[in-house]
Amino acid sequence: MATGPDAHARLLPAAITLRATPRGRLWLIAALLALIFAGISIASPAFASPANIRDILVNISPVIIVACGMTILIISGEIDVSVGSLLGLLGALMGLCSSPTHANLPLAAVIAITLAAGAALGLLNGLLVVLGRVPSIITTLGAMTILRGATELLMAGSWITDLPASLRYLGTGTPLGIPVCLWAALIAVILSLLFLRATRPGLWTYAVGGNLHAAHLARVPTHTTRLLAFTLLGLLTGLAALVSIPQQSVIESGIGVGFELSVITAVVVGGASIRGGSGGILGTLLAAILLGSVRTGLIFINLGDSAVYWERAIQGAFILAAVLSDVLTRQDSARQTA
Amino acid sequence: MRPAPRTNSRVYECLLAALMSILLALAWWLDPDFVAPATQLALSNHIVELALVAIPMTLIIVTGGIDLSVGSTMALSSVVMGLAFDAGAPFPLVCISALLTGTLAGLLNGLFIARLSIHPLIVTLATLAAYRGLAEGLSKGRPFSGFPEGFLAIGSGDWLQVPILVWLLLLLLLLSALIIRRTTIGLWIYAAGGSQTAAHYSGVPVAQLRLALYTLAGAAAGLAAIFFAARFNTAKADVGAGLELSVITAVVLGGTSIFGGRGTLLGAMLGVAIIHEIGQLVSWKWDQQELVQVVTGSILVLAVLVHNIFSRRTH
Amino acid sequence: MKRSTFIALLSAMSLSVMGVGPRAHTAPGPVHKKTTIALLPKKKGLPYFTTCAKGAEEAAKELDVELIYDGPTDGSPEKAASMIDRWALKGVDVIAVSPNDPDVLGQAMKKARAKGVKVLTWDADAAKDTREFLVNQATAKDIGFALVDAMAKDLGGENASGKVAIITATLTAANQNEWMKHMKERLAKYPKLELIATKPCNEDQRLAFSTAQDLMKAHPDLKGIFGISSVAFPGAAEAVKQAGKSGTVLVTGLGTPNDMKAYVKDGTVKSVILWNTVDLGYLTIHAAHALAGGTLKPGATELTAGRLGTKKIDGDQILLGDILVFTKDNIDSFDF
Repeated sequence: MATGPDAHARLLPAAITLRATPRGRLWLIAALLALIFAGISIASPAFASPANIRDILVNISPVIIVACGMTILIISGEIDVSVGSLLGLLGALMGLCSSPTHANLPLAAVIAITLAAGAALGLLNGLLVVLGRVPSIITTLGAMTILRGATELLMAGSWITDLPASLRYLGTGTPLGIPVCLWAALIAVILSLLFLRATRPGLWTYAVGGNLHAAHLARVPTHTTRLLAFTLLGLLTGLAALVSIPQQSVIESGIGVGFELSVITAVVVGGASIRGGSGGILGTLLAAILLGSVRTGLIFINLGDSAVYWERAIQGAFILAAVLSDVLTRQDSARQTA
Repeated sequence: MRPAPRTNSRVYECLLAALMSILLALAWWLDPDFVAPATQLALSNHIVELALVAIPMTLIIVTGGIDLSVGSTMALSSVVMGLAFDAGAPFPLVCISALLTGTLAGLLNGLFIARLSIHPLIVTLATLAAYRGLAEGLSKGRPFSGFPEGFLAIGSGDWLQVPILVWLLLLLLLLSALIIRRTTIGLWIYAAGGSQTAAHYSGVPVAQLRLALYTLAGAAAGLAAIFFAARFNTAKADVGAGLELSVITAVVLGGTSIFGGRGTLLGAMLGVAIIHEIGQLVSWKWDQQELVQVVTGSILVLAVLVHNIFSRRTH
Repeated sequence: MKRSTFIALLSAMSLSVMGVGPRAHTAPGPVHKKTTIALLPKKKGLPYFTTCAKGAEEAAKELDVELIYDGPTDGSPEKAASMIDRWALKGVDVIAVSPNDPDVLGQAMKKARAKGVKVLTWDADAAKDTREFLVNQATAKDIGFALVDAMAKDLGGENASGKVAIITATLTAANQNEWMKHMKERLAKYPKLELIATKPCNEDQRLAFSTAQDLMKAHPDLKGIFGISSVAFPGAAEAVKQAGKSGTVLVTGLGTPNDMKAYVKDGTVKSVILWNTVDLGYLTIHAAHALAGGTLKPGATELTAGRLGTKKIDGDQILLGDILVFTKDNIDSFDF
């Protein structure tokens, strides 16, 4: 293998290029979003009301928060399918820590524990992938079943229904008239955007995902970069758990089942390449809002009695259409690497 | 691109076989009744759908692809089968309709992946939702039941103490193994998994090969729907939920590299068997499904981890 | 080549252990000292079934029987069928099944009976030839009617009027589909109650919550929501409460009193429909024990069940008693 100093010099500029989501993709999703809002509002004006838009955003906020972390991870060339199970486990942990009939810890401690546990479990996934060289899909597929089983064991067949008011505030409170979860989503979006655009580790993330070997030769700390991406995703999952689970009064063991699919779908529809190296937060954000609006929109356009059975098919067709339209618009369709 | 020497899979298969032997020995020690042939044979009927779909899934993953839609394809086939049966179609035609539906669904995946070169993960993530939705829409959530006795007898019957469906599975497995071993197709699959560009330039019809494999996965899912109907006398839109994850887990545990190029059917079947045995043993002994989840997930990660440590030493 | 021979040998070995190996221990084991009863819930991890298991444990201790309580944590009927198969092979005496999908479980139950295992159903029924008795707390019809009647009562009795919606578990959930059939049947009695939508929540509380929100916005004059799955009920109730519509949009459904107490107290929920789940588990184990001991035979008309006293048997159904309606006035006297 040619690894002389010349090779380093040649690889460096090629490896570290920031490949954000193509503009065309962002416009496409924005246009689809506008189309849906216009279309459904004609059928049912209440759809475009501020209250409904707020509800759509509140409902999609955990997906947005976790999808920010997932975008970073997917750009780095890895994937995590265990976020749904992690959300469930953190929910159980949070409930058991805060409930007066269980640990009854103060809110600050609950927040710290939840975030720390999320980050730690994310890091653990990362360590297995980076140091143990277990492919991320395998590690997280395993983590997905382990964490779900652990959640069931932790909950021991009952629900936690006596959440203290302080914790419920994280889910239902509206400081400055805006729900806590939207503040959290806003912060997650801005920080991830800054991370990817303006920090060295952000740049490294693109480099590592674009070409791991080249990045390594260019002296990018590939291990640290990927560990950071896994840890960030765990941390953001903790944040999503804190602001979304207390929206409900009951914590049960099934929280987060299928959540990973919504998150990964948002990232992928948002234009991040599943092969790593390209993608951006804005695309993910728009895609998440788009997918959330489609689901809500289907309730607003009353399609008749049997329409409910077709809702999932319509959603699936929509994702397929979004993906297909991308093929028709993208320039580098010939890129095919194993 | 990580180097993936072929010999690795041999070493890994030995590791799996050893793991399987340890597992059975442990089971013998815990409760001899569990490893009794009668018990094992009766329980083996529960892996047929999983093992069946694992065959094409292994080949797809070897070529560097993945198919997340197999569970939904199975559901769609199941529903079409139920609708055909409900409409009074002759029974062979009912079965063919399921097989055909699966094949077409797989073909559609294949067209998107091979012709439009969209990443398989993205295509099948979309059809995972779309096919399940189509199944729900067509059936309106209604299950279909009342299949003929002769058909159900295939699902629950056995020959020489081995369930008939397991015989069928073994036959298909043998056929697939022969094709891979004795024809160029097998060579092509591994070549395409190594590097698609290199394979393309050395004359491997990569696009056609991928199209064929995804179509095959659809057909297998369709056949799995028929097996399911024979075993449970039911066709409905929620069969095969989560099948994709169990299949991929088994295939990957069986030593197939998720990056392509490496993996064997024997390994995949060992993977299926180990997951099945672990699940059954933990349930048999402790009757706690939560524990089954924790143990299965841990074995998956540990097996690959141990293999990595092991193969690093030999380098 | 040597390696592949080695593998072939190893796999042959493992196969031989599995299949054609030495026939040790194939004869049915010695007689169990204790009666073993396996109790299968539709879905493990739900408080509803956990409270049933509590009653079952109480009875098992009284009767000195071995109790196995296990079920699929994801509610998958295929996994449940595999568990029935396994228990039958293991040689338990009685399997008490709450079938999540009677069609899927039917074959396994028949097979278990053919092996000499006594099978009874509890909580929900399956085909008559798959079980000996049903421990019946309420039929699908009773449940469907009770739900509609409770909603109608809270909306003004006979002349109840307004738009109502159902949030169900999944579109394919066999039980819920059966209840909904009877709910629609009963709705005919209240011509002014209009069912405008049936939506699935896929057993996801958040989805139930947002679906209820959307329903209220899409239909501002909505009067009532049925939450007929374990998480649809609290999810819908929370949506109504957060929208500030407690009392104007009524929520009714099936739930354990402890889980719904807060909503009943703040007026979001006026009636919770259920039966005494602890007693249901308790009665099931008593019935299973009597069945194993031979004291419960087809044709029996009564069953003595410990602290519950004598319970009536109607044909092949052992009756628990009435459906309970928990309201503000009585909910504090139940703890399960």
